[in-house]
Amino acid sequence: MFKSKLQKKPLNTEVDLVAFISLLSVCICFLLLTTIWIQIGSMDVKQAIGGQAQEGKPKPEMWVVMETDGKLTFKLRHIPAKIAKSFGSSEIASIEGKPDYDQLSQFLVKLTGEFDQLEMALIRPAEKTPFEDIIQLMDVFREKGIKDLGVTPL
Amino acid sequence: MNYRPLGASTGNFGFKNKPKRNLAATVMLTSLVDTFSVLVIYLLVNFSTTGELLYMSEGMELPAAAQSVELERNVVVKVEEDKLFIEEKEIPMAGLVQKLIDVKKNWEEYYPDTEFTGAMTIQADRRQTYSLLSHVIQAGGHAGYSDINFAVIKK
Repeated sequence: MFKSKLQKKPLNTEVDLVAFISLLSVCICFLLLTTIWIQIGSMDVKQAIGGQAQEGKPKPEMWVVMETDGKLTFKLRHIPAKIAKSFGSSEIASIEGKPDYDQLSQFLVKLTGEFDQLEMALIRPAEKTPFEDIIQLMDVFREKGIKDLGVTPL
Repeated sequence: MNYRPLGASTGNFGFKNKPKRNLAATVMLTSLVDTFSVLVIYLLVNFSTTGELLYMSEGMELPAAAQSVELERNVVVKVEEDKLFIEEKEIPMAGLVQKLIDVKKNWEEYYPDTEFTGAMTIQADRRQTYSLLSHVIQAGGHAGYSDINFAVIKK
């Protein structure tokens, strides 16, 4: 009697895929409509002037002056005399009114290769410097390991 | 002779011995479900909520940066041509410091789920000159916002 009962019971069940497909379709439509494709981030900086007073030995820092025509001027402070002699005051000419980021990148690689304690850079843009140029400059600095960045108000 | 009215069909058009074709085709649902599942997973992974923190005006293009960090919730000062906005409300140039101080004082009212960290976000077009940005940075400094976050598009 048991044998015949077991034989009759079907073991294969079918999953209703239609409902599942409907659910997935709704999910896709919702996500396609609401997903934000542009990833927005932020570039964190400090105010270079009017910050907290430093305690103890001052950290090595680099001042970067951005001219309106894109020329960059560097001044290093609180650094060993040997490094100051080589890199103390340098300039990078602009290309078509924009800063030369390739030259800047090479300069920073050379500088950080000889003096790896430099972590701070303070940027002083000109009145007419485009926002894009400031951000790109900061991007190059961060890429080369100089993470603490600051901007000076005019 | 056996006459048949015009248009009346015999049913098999004279091909008596050919078997009838089954017109109902079966759709392979398994591959469709697989595709849908992959799509849903991809969209869920890319689902980002950081965009809600900023309202982008028409024509505004943010600068792009590769070394950026995730945007956090704090006061957003939008610079649009020569106008300033805090949380989409236009603020006169001269009243920016006072407004920022007000926001700082009533922080819990403005941002109930976050703590005041002394940071503010500046949202500006990539072509914006530094003169106005400098004014905002200075105003932030006077109002007690020492950390400045520039909103950028991640490269």
